[in-house]
Amino acid sequence: MSTKEQSQRIELLQGTLDLLILRTLLLGPAHGHAIAKAIEFRSDDVLQVEQGSLYPALHRLIKRRWISVEEGTSENNRRAKFYRLTAKGRRQLAVETSKWGKFAGAIARILRPAKKGSEP
Amino acid sequence: VRRRDHMLDGLDQEIRDHIERETLDNIERGMPPEEARYAALRKFGNVMRVKEETRAVWSALWLEQLLQDVRFGLRNLNKDRRFTLLAILTLALGIGATTVIFSAMDSILLEPFIYAHADRLAIFFIHDLNQPNDNGRSSFSVPEFMDFREQNHVFEDVAGYSGQDVLYAGNQGAHLFDGAWVTANSFDLLGMKPFLGRAITSDDGKPGAAPVFAMSYRLWTKQFNRDPGIVGTTMTLNDQPRTLVGIMPPRFLWGNCDIWMPIYWTHSDLPGTNAGHPRMFLSPLARLKPGVSLQAATADLNVVAFNLSKVYSQDYPPHFDVITGKLRDEVVGQFRFTLYVLMAAVSMLLLIACCNVANLLLARATAREREIAIRASMGATHSRLIRQLLVESFLLSVAGCAAGCLFAYFGLKWIQMEAPLLSVPAEALIALKPAALWFALCVTILTTFLCGLAPALHAVHGDLYPRLTGAGRGAGAGFRHGKLRAGLVIFEVGLSILLLIGAGLMMRTVLALQHVDLGFNPRNILVVRPAFPPGRYDTAVKKRVFFEQVMQRIAALPGVIAVTETSTPPAYAYSGIGSEVTIPGTTHADSWTTIFRLCGTDYFRTLGIPLIRGRALSEADVDSASHVVVINQTFASKYFKDEDPIGKQIKFDQLDQIADAPHNAYFQVIGITGDIKNQGLRDAPMPEACLPYTITGGYFRRILVRTAVDPLSLLPNVRQEISAVDSSVALAQTDTIESYLTQWTYAEPDFAVTTLGIFAVIGLALVIIGVLGVMAYSVSLQTQEIGVRIALGAQQSDILKMVLLKGLRLIAAGVVIGVLASYVATRLIASQIWGVSPTDPLTFAAVVTTIILVGLAACLIPARRATRVDPMVALRYE
Repeated sequence: MSTKEQSQRIELLQGTLDLLILRTLLLGPAHGHAIAKAIEFRSDDVLQVEQGSLYPALHRLIKRRWISVEEGTSENNRRAKFYRLTAKGRRQLAVETSKWGKFAGAIARILRPAKKGSEP
Repeated sequence: VRRRDHMLDGLDQEIRDHIERETLDNIERGMPPEEARYAALRKFGNVMRVKEETRAVWSALWLEQLLQDVRFGLRNLNKDRRFTLLAILTLALGIGATTVIFSAMDSILLEPFIYAHADRLAIFFIHDLNQPNDNGRSSFSVPEFMDFREQNHVFEDVAGYSGQDVLYAGNQGAHLFDGAWVTANSFDLLGMKPFLGRAITSDDGKPGAAPVFAMSYRLWTKQFNRDPGIVGTTMTLNDQPRTLVGIMPPRFLWGNCDIWMPIYWTHSDLPGTNAGHPRMFLSPLARLKPGVSLQAATADLNVVAFNLSKVYSQDYPPHFDVITGKLRDEVVGQFRFTLYVLMAAVSMLLLIACCNVANLLLARATAREREIAIRASMGATHSRLIRQLLVESFLLSVAGCAAGCLFAYFGLKWIQMEAPLLSVPAEALIALKPAALWFALCVTILTTFLCGLAPALHAVHGDLYPRLTGAGRGAGAGFRHGKLRAGLVIFEVGLSILLLIGAGLMMRTVLALQHVDLGFNPRNILVVRPAFPPGRYDTAVKKRVFFEQVMQRIAALPGVIAVTETSTPPAYAYSGIGSEVTIPGTTHADSWTTIFRLCGTDYFRTLGIPLIRGRALSEADVDSASHVVVINQTFASKYFKDEDPIGKQIKFDQLDQIADAPHNAYFQVIGITGDIKNQGLRDAPMPEACLPYTITGGYFRRILVRTAVDPLSLLPNVRQEISAVDSSVALAQTDTIESYLTQWTYAEPDFAVTTLGIFAVIGLALVIIGVLGVMAYSVSLQTQEIGVRIALGAQQSDILKMVLLKGLRLIAAGVVIGVLASYVATRLIASQIWGVSPTDPLTFAAVVTTIILVGLAACLIPARRATRVDPMVALRYE
């Protein structure tokens, strides 16, 4: 994460972390540290996740039964908790993704003309 | 909960693993192990907070944390007992006083009666348009009453009432009870169920029905020891046997009576002749049909009254309309306004109390800055901290509420004793009722936020770092707190100015009223009203015989200066018999009215009313019932203008209505006396005339005795002398004029001024605490600065001046705001103020001076402390 300049990092919007976790788990079960790494890597280190905040979010998702948790053995042969997307979580991911698309599109549309105007 | 425990199991391990993995990653990237671990920790964030938030996902957290907060709050409050007690006491005063006044309002204004549908009970008056100040006539002859009852379209029913002395011949001699004739439908209309036996029913008014009566719980307790056996027995009331059918419930005291006797209530039941019943006048009490407004009722009654004025023309003035009013409003009257004023005052008091507690909490929050900063840095969220602080102020408020309710309980006992009898219905139950307790609870929640929110918000905002290190003391956040606290004190001072000026104006009003010249000397005058057995003393001659003997006997008693007979004593609410007058040789469009009273020869001497011209009534005038009259100055100047009234003729039209009075008689003016206050203390006297008491046998009669000793000490002797003349005559209404004045005339302003005075003193005490607190705090913040100044050679007097000036600035700002607010607000209570301007400069000046002096005195303690600052200690403090 230290590869990016401070100014180029973006704090996560409220609730976005849930979406990112669900999307990451779509690829398969993972433990907490792996999820954090995946989010950082896939966002090209732009999204700054305070790694600790992952855990309350994971538990929130478990409580909603969007993901489940199981004991497993990690890549270096250590026991760890693995999180897995449930069927309900998969459906939720579709809903959230489309919502996010609409949201991002709307924001982009609002910002575009202003940008044009500010160019010389 | 089990799922939660299972889920949280291993969270610590998981987090440790996470950080370890991150550390390993960092080492792989080439960081030295120490730095790698540090970077991993930084990246992870606050471990404690993560754990807490994760746990929060699973817990029924809100309640759990609340309990935690309560425990923590209690511990905290217990640690700082002085603060806690002061805050609770302050809140208790505020909440308690507010609850007292709310209870009084609830009991007196909202539900003073226990009658069914009390909000629809109304009374009506025939209002003489030429007498705009007077509500008019609200008593009707029986046939007229029945016409009203049958011809209106707006009332469900109308009940009638007529006061009647009841002489009861018991085992231990004659007793006099307050009784009343009531139309037999009354108890149905009022919806009253009896406490014992049965209530009076409509059938009891039918011709030929057995004579019965109902008794009040009050009399049943006082006279008959709550003996249930007396129900169904027959008692001799006014020489007539009557059967007691029921005891009414404790609060039922219609007409403030103890005995109710039924009479007919429809035309068909009316006896053909008036035999056995003197011409009776009934005061109506009506219940509006649901949804009928007072305006609609007035319109309908105007039509009825217009028709009836042709039938009973002698009872109607030439120009009149009907006034209707809700029973509640008519009874409570002006006192409603007094209660509103008190409610406003007490709300101010509550606000002052809240300001004070907020101030105390702010001071505490400042002292606890570091604790709060530590908690915040340990991962407590803002909302959690705010809630914690609010829980603390809520605990304070709850304790304050409990103490306040206790305070209110005793306060209400006091109100019960002190509230003016005239304005509070006898049936009103002034007590701490559920509504008031709910109110207190609402006030408690309100005060929690009023006192707690601002300090809580202030405590958690701003930078943590300086507060953690302690460098922030006196700077940054402290400065903001200081401003808020100063603002609160300014507001508090302003409110107290308003409160004190209100109280001051009321006090001046009462003083002015107490110094009103009544026109006679009210000291040492005993008033007794003999109650005659029915039919025994109903003629003028019989009354003359009785009174002549009684007067001689009383006059001979040692300690008696003068004694007289009169129909109506002065300065009472009902202070004379109203009548239109006809004066030959005058022409005028408006009706000329006066009050007159029936008097004995020594009336003026007994009361100390000066005779200005001519002569008073002589023994011969009274003996022969001469047609002579003594008028007051107002009468003379109003109706005779520049002419000399002596020798002129006056006819009192009202006398034509009295069967045994001289009809169409002209009375010759023989004297003019000084005016007495015959319309209450505030209003100018109205025309008044005195006639020899022997011209008629009608009307109540009273005996006035001027004594050289305590008048009540002569009461047994007076009773004995009357009983010696005729033992069947009882005494009703024994009182002194002075006690009457205290009880009735001065009672309302006295009550208002005492209550306001108590509130003002409490307010002043709270302001002292407030100013003292804020100045002490400000001095403690400036300790260093003061130390430097002293080290640099400042004198004690300079330091004293500096602190006092600072305090004075706060007080002055409050004074300016308070005076401006009072200038506007006192106009709102102008109707309550008499004999003094609502912007009376003297009151304003006195209050401002008091506040400034008291405020400066409060500054003096912290200022003295400031001068004793040891420069070495203060500087080392750095």
